[in-house]
Amino acid sequence: MNSFVEKIKKVDSRDAKLGMAHFYVAFIGLFIGGMAGLLQTLVRSGQFTLPAGIGYYQLLTLHGVVLALVMTTYFIMGFQLVSVSRTAGTLTNKQRNTGWVGFWLMTIGTVMAAVMILLNEASVLYTFYAPLQAHALFYVGLTLVIVGSWVSGSAIIMAYVAWRRKNPGQPSPLLTFMSLVNTLMWIVATIGVATTVLFQLLPWSLGLVERVDVAISRTLFWYFGHPLVYFWLLPAYMAWYVIVPKIIGGKIFSDSLARLSFILFLLFSIPVGFHHQLMEPGIDPAWKFLQVVLTFMVIIPSLMTAFSLFATFETFGRSKGATGLFGWLKKLPWGDARFLIPFIGMLSFIPGGAGGIINASNQMNQVIHNTIWVTGHFHLTVATAVILTFFGISYWLIPHLTGRTLTKAMNKLAILQGVLWAIGMTFMSGAMHFAGLLGAPRRSAYSEYGGAAQAAEWVPYQIAQAVGGSILFIAIILVLYIFINLAFFAPKGEEEFPVGEAANTTEKAPMILENWKLWLGLVVLLIAFAYTIPFIDLIENAPIGSKGYKLW
Amino acid sequence: MAQPGLEKKTSTKVEDQSSLKGTLASVFLLGFFLIITWVGVFLLFVNRF
Repeated sequence: MNSFVEKIKKVDSRDAKLGMAHFYVAFIGLFIGGMAGLLQTLVRSGQFTLPAGIGYYQLLTLHGVVLALVMTTYFIMGFQLVSVSRTAGTLTNKQRNTGWVGFWLMTIGTVMAAVMILLNEASVLYTFYAPLQAHALFYVGLTLVIVGSWVSGSAIIMAYVAWRRKNPGQPSPLLTFMSLVNTLMWIVATIGVATTVLFQLLPWSLGLVERVDVAISRTLFWYFGHPLVYFWLLPAYMAWYVIVPKIIGGKIFSDSLARLSFILFLLFSIPVGFHHQLMEPGIDPAWKFLQVVLTFMVIIPSLMTAFSLFATFETFGRSKGATGLFGWLKKLPWGDARFLIPFIGMLSFIPGGAGGIINASNQMNQVIHNTIWVTGHFHLTVATAVILTFFGISYWLIPHLTGRTLTKAMNKLAILQGVLWAIGMTFMSGAMHFAGLLGAPRRSAYSEYGGAAQAAEWVPYQIAQAVGGSILFIAIILVLYIFINLAFFAPKGEEEFPVGEAANTTEKAPMILENWKLWLGLVVLLIAFAYTIPFIDLIENAPIGSKGYKLW
Repeated sequence: MAQPGLEKKTSTKVEDQSSLKGTLASVFLLGFFLIITWVGVFLLFVNRF
């Protein structure tokens, strides 16, 4: 019996192969994008000029597209597919083949977009804002990435539907449920970016139409752009809610609470894109304010998550005999990289979230808009909270999938990597926040701005960013070394895929949380409420539009 | 015969294992941090605009 249980706890080797294919691309992306990031911080320090005609904005585009769009999407798709395989059962051949079709579509698209960026035909920054105009193949490539992710996502949906059919009246396994919520959110969100690319940017870059409506294009981008950040975050939350409790030897505080918070993210992370456009003309302030209110609703599930995690840690510590107000902290397994690295991520999400609340606070956005504060903000959220959690996942998932083990030496190296990341990011992101408050712009190469006194104030912070960026790059080299070790060289063995259990096993999650007609219906209603009239306004009052610019 | 040892009450404080007072304190600290940072930038906003 025991060996049987052990057997089903392991991800099937065919599904493992599919997962690993995603992780190879993700970690190659990490190297390329990390290198670009390092060069950017060096350029902005004012001490370094790019060789061989490489452009700063070309690097910036590469960094953003390869890390924020490619690396994250591959990691998430791979992680979700193997999580579903682990918790809802091995994928059927049809589901797995669908996953492979998605993988190859995404990969063809990624190569196309990357080649166009490297040929300097697409330095339109990661947000590819019109009227900056890239080569049509860049847009086609990114469309393929998105369509591929839909195909991969449909494999997850198929697996979920099959599980529910086999287990009527039962709540789905928590990790499968969470993967499904994130997939549904992603599909609804990417409709926005697919619309602007297919109907606006592609015909415009092909020369079929001369002009593009910039405001509509940006609005469609941010309809996608904000849920995108939750698409990054929710897989990290999957690890925080379900995997970390098992790693420390504790229990999930509440299965139902975890599900409810994911449903709230599904509802409130999409109709909020205007908080990225608070300074833009063409949108009525009343509608901006409505979306600010909806943005603040997203704080609720984040605070629920914080509470739940503290409670998991405290309950575990007290079960080990901890006393006093914070004695439980001492009982946590600080020497285990699988716990420590995601934990550093959790901590960094506190200032990350605080910054996010400031950014979204309507008029207060003026203080930080388009400053490098914003760059500092998302380097705490996605580039620390999320990515460190992804690294923490990799340190057990890669050996689990390759049939190897995380050795003590690699665990130590992984801890060093996490600590270096925390130090590097404190320098880089901290300096970005302060420079941003002093007015330093984001998305801009080094300039003395004609010797302006204000610009001179930013220079020390820019040097601090380069110091932080260099430390971060060393951490990336360590991650890659550990990844290669775990994928190819670590000793053969069994590494656990930890999946936590709820503290209260008699509590059955309410089935209403799996009523997708209800939740998707509410999603559509909220989106229609938040966006219909603004879009009618934007279309009715449309200007003649802008020709394309290639300013690089 | 008096047994002085018996009169002395030995009270061992048993902490409730299900206590979440540390969690309560933690979420309060988190809340204060959010408020302090927000108010900090709000003051900048008020002074600048």
